[in-house]
Amino acid sequence: MGRYLIRRTLFMVLVLFIVSLFTFIIFMKLPAGDPARRLAGSRATTPQELQAIRHSIGLDEPLLVQYGRFAKGLIPWPGFFLNKQVYFSWANNVPVSEEIYSRLPYTITLSLGAAAVFLVVGIPIGIISAIKRRSFVDRAGMVFALIGVSAPVFWLAYLMLYFFWFKLGWLPGIGVPAGEPILKSIALGRFILPWFALAFTFAAFYTRMIRGNLIETMSEDYIRTARAKGLSERRVIFKHGLRAALTPVVTMFGLDLATLLGGAVITETVFNIPGIGQYTLQAIFGGNFPGVMGVTVLAAFFIVIANLVVDVLYAFLDPRVRYT
Amino acid sequence: MKRILKLVAVVAVAGLVAAACGGGNKSTNTGSPSASTGALQSGGVLKLAIEADVDHAFDPAKEYSTLSFEPFRCCLLRTLVSTNGQDASHDGDILQPDLAALPQISADGLTYTFTIQSGIHYAPPFDNVEVTAGDFARAIARESDSQASANGYSFYYSPSGGTGGGIVGFDEAKGTVPSGVKVVDDHTLAITLTAPLGDFPWRMSMAAMAPIPPVGNSVLGWATGHTKDYGRYLVGTGPYMFKGTDALDPSGPPSQAAISGYVPGRSWTLVRNPSWDASTDPNRPAYVDEIDVAIGGTAQVLANEVDNGTIDMEFGGVPPAQQLAAYQADPTKATQVHATPSDGVRYLAMNIALPPFDDIHVRKAMNYVIDKDALRRTRGGPLFGDIAGHFIVNSLTGDINANYDPYASPNGQGDVTKAKAEMALSKYDTNGDGICDAPECNGVLTITDSADPYPAQNAILVASAKKIGISLDVRAGDRYTFMYDKCLDPTSHAAFCPSVGWFKDYPDALTFGPPTLGSAAIGPGGCCNYSLVGASNDLLKADGYTTTDVASLDAVFNKCTVMPIGQERLQCWADADKAIMEQAVPVIPWLFDKDVDLTGSRILNYTYDQSAGMMSLDHVALVGGGA
Repeated sequence: MGRYLIRRTLFMVLVLFIVSLFTFIIFMKLPAGDPARRLAGSRATTPQELQAIRHSIGLDEPLLVQYGRFAKGLIPWPGFFLNKQVYFSWANNVPVSEEIYSRLPYTITLSLGAAAVFLVVGIPIGIISAIKRRSFVDRAGMVFALIGVSAPVFWLAYLMLYFFWFKLGWLPGIGVPAGEPILKSIALGRFILPWFALAFTFAAFYTRMIRGNLIETMSEDYIRTARAKGLSERRVIFKHGLRAALTPVVTMFGLDLATLLGGAVITETVFNIPGIGQYTLQAIFGGNFPGVMGVTVLAAFFIVIANLVVDVLYAFLDPRVRYT
Repeated sequence: MKRILKLVAVVAVAGLVAAACGGGNKSTNTGSPSASTGALQSGGVLKLAIEADVDHAFDPAKEYSTLSFEPFRCCLLRTLVSTNGQDASHDGDILQPDLAALPQISADGLTYTFTIQSGIHYAPPFDNVEVTAGDFARAIARESDSQASANGYSFYYSPSGGTGGGIVGFDEAKGTVPSGVKVVDDHTLAITLTAPLGDFPWRMSMAAMAPIPPVGNSVLGWATGHTKDYGRYLVGTGPYMFKGTDALDPSGPPSQAAISGYVPGRSWTLVRNPSWDASTDPNRPAYVDEIDVAIGGTAQVLANEVDNGTIDMEFGGVPPAQQLAAYQADPTKATQVHATPSDGVRYLAMNIALPPFDDIHVRKAMNYVIDKDALRRTRGGPLFGDIAGHFIVNSLTGDINANYDPYASPNGQGDVTKAKAEMALSKYDTNGDGICDAPECNGVLTITDSADPYPAQNAILVASAKKIGISLDVRAGDRYTFMYDKCLDPTSHAAFCPSVGWFKDYPDALTFGPPTLGSAAIGPGGCCNYSLVGASNDLLKADGYTTTDVASLDAVFNKCTVMPIGQERLQCWADADKAIMEQAVPVIPWLFDKDVDLTGSRILNYTYDQSAGMMSLDHVALVGGGA
């Protein structure tokens, strides 16, 4: 187990290194034009001023040195991690760490809330659909799943805003006001629409996956054996069927949650939630490379950690899996 | 020029708006809130929202956008000289004394001496510190630090900045006080220039020149250690300050907690500065007690918030077309729509070193043939601007050229007859029928923005040019990584750059002519002479042009640059405007932009700040004092 964790941790570092390298190359080298010119926008700038801009953000250093400065800021150690000397927004002169730390609670709230919603909605519908196969309930569940996987989040979000905020006025829809404590925002229902908009697609996926898994599991020999032993149908489904059917959900849930924690860009933007996703978009459009690098590596970090946790958990849930 | 970003963001406003507005610089609402004649009551909280924050967290040496200019001028930072925060028809484009009287100018035009008011104090925690001449020298020193002023406008103070001259010793100062800046005594500051610059007092009105409080003997005083983030520790002398400014510790380290009233990307909260004394500041009435600005949301969401009274206005945005139409159609709400000339021009730039635009007759023919009215409709119609007949906006030439339009056409829709007559004089029309028949008129390389409304504009331009035999080869792409890159690079040989515009930095035509049509503004390092006006023979050869001689406006501009502020200078720039339109003809101006604001029902005394180009926050009052 120990060796496994060490190996996975080293692999995680490698993944983060590759992600940071590609992010650097994509942002700094692929777009046409001079990054300093992009930062200066369309205004009049002399060559000296462009040079000053380059110098102020380290663009006058050799490329390897530039990358090294950013890579150093990713080392999880005080004084290094997201240090202000390098991870200082090119767009609004604010430390990236400050932006990320102040925004993370909003993204965590959005992600956990949405995760709770899609689990609570998706799993029961999937189970019922599988148990009541080809019934009206099953058909209704599958229609829900079809709509869910087909509806783009931005469309759904605007639709919900239109009806529940603009037309009916039942729920708040103008985002989270600056200065409002996050618990108060939750209490005032400011996250309800974003939670449901974000959860809808996920819930549909979970419904389909659980239904399929459960139907397949219920046709296994050991299920037939359990029934032959005279166990009640409820016990067969929930003790024997669901355990196997839900195991892949753990993997999927871990990765989905990690993805959400990396920033729900569209949902946060539409609902004006000042989270990581909104910052990501602002950083990209603002030409703010330190911000882009910070949130990209953060998102990658969440995913590799989730992967690790999921893999470890998987072995507990499924005795056939061994750490090797 | 960065202010163009704001206008670029609003271009998608479609043409539901139909209210025609007159010329001149008056706001064109029809009365009440802004024209309130009753006594205005102080007090209340003005609630605003913006879609995105300022660019550089309110660092006055770095901020170079309209969105920051207004809060600096109205509220946070007083400077040596300033404006009254009103529109041009109320002298908003006239320089006013502020912390100092208008400067004395030496006979040779090189030395400006400012006499600073006594008894002006900073906001807390520097409320016991009186503003003195050294504080302005400190601001100039900081501006000379290329890191502190990166992305800003230090070129206005640098002799090598390409603006006609600068402060002696500025380039060598690098964060120290330039040799040309002399603190004569606590209340007298003398600044010597490398060359006469008539507009220099305007340059001293900009936020970067606001005084910085002293701390010990450090050269940069309170700004020490805040090369990148001074805006979040800003202490000024305006009627307002960020909430929490008083919690700063003057003896604390630079790493101390920033001001709580400014949360980048989230909110600004401005409260009254207890040190401000209205009797020393006739420019700023400062009616409201507090200004709250929430950041984020789309134009539509913010429009709904204005409708339901959650906020008083979207500050610096453009109201959605549907909302504007609804308010204009309702007599009780029509007065809440305000349109004011913003001192910006939209124009089409022709490369005068490339065929067929190397022939002045072709350029004049293009000026005649373009359907400017159709172009204006793509931007929302007459409410959003007046058809431009010349290049330099009227307020910068004292309205001398207000009625000047050498290529006028009926309703601005183009005059094909005159265009053909002009084309017939060109070498590219060999048979004199007014239609270009030379191969140079086929596939004229046109570099343009791909975002709305430019595709619609391109179609209009293609159709207009075709009437005189010019076919445009339109290549569209991202504004910053494609359009500017190509149009600013003489080696790309872009013949026609139609998606460009220009806005003043301060109310002087120097910020209009030289940056767009001066030879120093050619090339990627210069910006933004797309037409190559004044390009040298060497430059043309090096960049692969066969033309060796192009028109230059440098002499005309240089003549105006040195003149002191006044009628003679205005006349000079008006003449320069005519030279642009008749002698060089590198551009086709088509729209003098207007800013359109929609205010909520609580706002009284809407006033447009002509110098900053936004609603004047210190002139706004609330109904019943906000009670």
